[in-house]
Amino acid sequence: MITLQHYLWVSAALFCIGLAGVVARRNALVVYMCLEMMLSAANLTLVAFSRFGVRDGLPDVNAQALVFFTITVAAAEVAVGLAIILALFRAKQRIETDSVNALQG
Amino acid sequence: MSVFYSLTLIALAGLALLLLEAFDSKRALRYARDASLGLCLFVALRLLTGNLNCSSEALPSWVSPWLSFDPLAQTFVVLGLVSTALVLALLRIGESYIRQYTLGGSMSEFYAIPMIMAAAIGFMAAARDLVTVFVALELVTVSFYVLVSMARKSALCLEAGVKYLILGAMSTGVLVFGMAWIYGVCGTLEFSGIASALADPQIAKAPALLACGLMIAALGFKVAAAPFHVWVPDVYQGAPLPISAFLSVGSKAAGFVVLCRLLEGFLGAGSVVAAEVRQLLVILGGLTVLLGALPALHQSSVKRLLGFSSVSHAGFMILGLSSVAPGVTGTGLASFYLATYLPMTVLAFTVLTVMRAHEVGDDLSEIRGLSKRSPMLAFCLTVSMACLAGLPLSVGFLGKWLVLLGLAQAGQLAALVIALIAAACGFYYYFRPIVAAYSSSEEPRKAIEVSIPAAVLLVLLCAVVLVLGLYPAPLNGLLQLTGAPAAAALLR
Amino acid sequence: MSPLFIALLLPVVAAVALSRGAPLKLASTPVALANVLLILGVMLSRGFVSPEVVSHVGSIAMLQSPALNLSVGVDGLSLLMALLTVVVSVCACWQIDNKREGARAEHIVAHLISAGALGAFVCRDLLMLYAFHELALIPTLLIIALQGRGESANRLRVAWKATVYLGVGSLILLAGLCWLMVSLTPEGAALVTDLDSLLKLAKEHPLPALKQAQIGLVLLVGFGTLVSLFPFHTWAAPAYATAPVSTAMLHSGVLKKFGIYGLLRVLPGMLPLALSQAWLQEALCWALLGNILWVGWVCIHQRNLDEMLAHSSVMHMGYLFLGLAAGGAVALEGVALLAFAHGISIALLFALAGRMRAQLGTLEFRRLGGLGSHSPALYVLFCFGMFASIGLPGLANFAGELMIFVGCFGHPGATALGMVQWTAIAALWGVVMSAVYGLRALRALFQGTSGSGLFLSDPPLAQRGGLVLLASLLLVAGTCPWLPLRLIAPAPKDKPAAGAVAPKAH
Repeated sequence: MITLQHYLWVSAALFCIGLAGVVARRNALVVYMCLEMMLSAANLTLVAFSRFGVRDGLPDVNAQALVFFTITVAAAEVAVGLAIILALFRAKQRIETDSVNALQG
Repeated sequence: MSVFYSLTLIALAGLALLLLEAFDSKRALRYARDASLGLCLFVALRLLTGNLNCSSEALPSWVSPWLSFDPLAQTFVVLGLVSTALVLALLRIGESYIRQYTLGGSMSEFYAIPMIMAAAIGFMAAARDLVTVFVALELVTVSFYVLVSMARKSALCLEAGVKYLILGAMSTGVLVFGMAWIYGVCGTLEFSGIASALADPQIAKAPALLACGLMIAALGFKVAAAPFHVWVPDVYQGAPLPISAFLSVGSKAAGFVVLCRLLEGFLGAGSVVAAEVRQLLVILGGLTVLLGALPALHQSSVKRLLGFSSVSHAGFMILGLSSVAPGVTGTGLASFYLATYLPMTVLAFTVLTVMRAHEVGDDLSEIRGLSKRSPMLAFCLTVSMACLAGLPLSVGFLGKWLVLLGLAQAGQLAALVIALIAAACGFYYYFRPIVAAYSSSEEPRKAIEVSIPAAVLLVLLCAVVLVLGLYPAPLNGLLQLTGAPAAAALLR
Repeated sequence: MSPLFIALLLPVVAAVALSRGAPLKLASTPVALANVLLILGVMLSRGFVSPEVVSHVGSIAMLQSPALNLSVGVDGLSLLMALLTVVVSVCACWQIDNKREGARAEHIVAHLISAGALGAFVCRDLLMLYAFHELALIPTLLIIALQGRGESANRLRVAWKATVYLGVGSLILLAGLCWLMVSLTPEGAALVTDLDSLLKLAKEHPLPALKQAQIGLVLLVGFGTLVSLFPFHTWAAPAYATAPVSTAMLHSGVLKKFGIYGLLRVLPGMLPLALSQAWLQEALCWALLGNILWVGWVCIHQRNLDEMLAHSSVMHMGYLFLGLAAGGAVALEGVALLAFAHGISIALLFALAGRMRAQLGTLEFRRLGGLGSHSPALYVLFCFGMFASIGLPGLANFAGELMIFVGCFGHPGATALGMVQWTAIAALWGVVMSAVYGLRALRALFQGTSGSGLFLSDPPLAQRGGLVLLASLLLVAGTCPWLPLRLIAPAPKDKPAAGAVAPKAH
């Protein structure tokens, strides 16, 4: 029997993998993918809580509504983010985050 | 007219500004920009004088479950509108130099996006649940990604954009994850429901703490709190000056209003996590003031300096949020601090923008001899820096004083000492630009002519800062603000 | 509306007008003079009432909740210090050389310091008192950094050193004041910052003696740094030697007295038991002996007039702390009197030194001599300042120092020679040291023959006004010490046990 616990552990693992990827990887595109993974982990948590948070015999759909908002917003974020990364690539011909080091002081 | 429709009108005006670019009419754009600046100020003024209907009856029925314009919301609507208006004015002053860096010299995005963000900040302030907050907050954040990296011809700008993007997206991930846990613990996403759920002694404490921690961390990114502040100095330095100014006030306003609302539940009466969250805030605030102040000591770029200063001030606001002084609420203290921080930091950015428009950089070596080139700019820089440092009888002093007092009365001695050290550091790094401005430079440099709109803005901001320093009574109402409904009316 | 608000506003208005290009002759010294008349008027209209009475009260509400008021009012002590402020301000403005480059900035700063110091002295709110002092301090430091004498690297170093010491000192002070106010405020009430309410609270619910001493220690370090108490004094001498003359006059003469004033306000009234804790009293005694003996020793070895004056100013602060350490009515009145007298005498000496440097280009003892022969007026004025500073009877400082020393031995309850008495005995040697370096400076500068052919001429009559004003004040306060004492001491018939000492001064 798969319980709420299982979902939460999976989503927590997903979130941590995503976070580790953001911190450790140098390729901006991969970093961006990891960010999306963090959002997916959050979505999974939301859906799991919603599915198991049964009230009056019905699952609570509030959180599921938030998932749709998250997906939409993530799409917008990807659109803007990829545009910025693309612009950086055009300017530098590289997308490694190491190359982004002119600003410091 | 209701405040909801006013904000909608502002967002629509932003869209209209965006459309204008398609018709490529430079002059129309200029008029439209000034008109939207006026619109922002007009709405803010109507709200301040109580001429906008803020009651929930005035909202359309499909909106009222999501939004309520209580005094806290009204305050932040005003702050959002005023900072948008100021940023539009700054963009107007710095237009000549920003144009060089955008593709095809286009400016309309710079005018349109802040208008949409002003509406978003307003809706976020009025939000009654986390779903609305999330949508509005992301509208603000994604808009900032665009604004920061809009001046694409500058490599620094793009670099700042990418840094902001990656860290911002990360904070979004943390935010949604935190919301998911809040939902899991409390079973609801509404602020009132969160407060009552956390007051239930049977609630599972560890997950509740995890949820609170994640939310505070994610919002800590928006308000530039340590250790999520690493983006701040880089992005401030790379972005165009008016946008940096907007980041320092707009992004802060957005983050703090949500933080205020959430903490109302986290720290509310009977909350099981209140003690831990308060301690977390004190630690976070102490860390932030220190990590903002210490690196600022050796900055030679004033823009970067203002970045670190913004971190340090965020720390003071967070310490304020944790305050329990009698007669003052944490929310009120943070709002008061933000309201006083706004004019003085924008004043500093205005000086820098005027200088940049005359091709004078923001390095200390270039500021040397400013008093000879333009006494007015040097004076304004002095006023803003003195206020940011918290010189007594300046507007910056009161906020700091009230925060320190709150710490003293709460018996948080370690945080008090750290905050005092940070304030002392402030006297060092804020005075370096002043000394530079009044010392003589070796080579003669030509005078800087301050244009009339710039002079008007400078005089206005200076007057506000100086008057509020001696007579802060108009802001008194802010100090008692709470996120809970039925609080004292704003500024009345 | 209280006339004190006008007195506060006048220098600010003058500073703003000067920064917008108002003529120096019209907007500077006359305004300062008007302020002297205003304060004299306040004195007259106050009349001879008991020193504790707070008159000319006024208040502007800044914040309602938590309550923060800009409230002003004067009692005897405030009035004496306010008088010192306005008199030194007018002389400082008077002697600025208007033809020099940067004179305008000097005038502006002089007025700002004057406003800040005046605010600190007449304010009836502990927080505002602090705020006003900071307001005066910042322009002082800025002008040292920007317009001080000597190499720019050197003056920046001096200014930064002073900034660091005074900045840290102010923050410690703020922390101490916070602690004091929080401790005195009743549980659950909004913070009390009002001076009179705090005094009342302290009288009704005194703090435990140990806590008083702990707060007292923080305040002594905080205020002490501002007054250059040993070992936090090293910023002071270089800063005075480097600062423009008017700034040195105002800072050493007036602004530094703020620390003493603050201690006089807080220690006896709110923390009466602080110095009865032996460890705190001993620490203070050792520190003040450091001021008197160590700095006095350093002072004797100076080869330069302004360095010597700067060190002597630090040294004399030791006597003020001695009075505080002794406690008791006589000693505390002596402290107030000496603070006033020292302010006048050091301002006079700095003004004269500045004038001499402007003419001679150097103040080194070994290169000068015989100056008295060509400038009898300066010689006489200098004698006034120096003799007063040494503590010669008949000049103002004497009465104050005597009262402090007498107060040390008249300490109620002292049967044997305690720490304070031994300190006083050691401190008496400081007077000898003052005489050594003071008289030696007089001889080296004004008597004998000039080694390098440098001569001094007397200033024209119009420019002597300020100097003569200061010198005559020294004489008046020295020969008739009851005039200033009437302000700060209760009339003799009200005074209970100290009758044995009182006739001396009255």
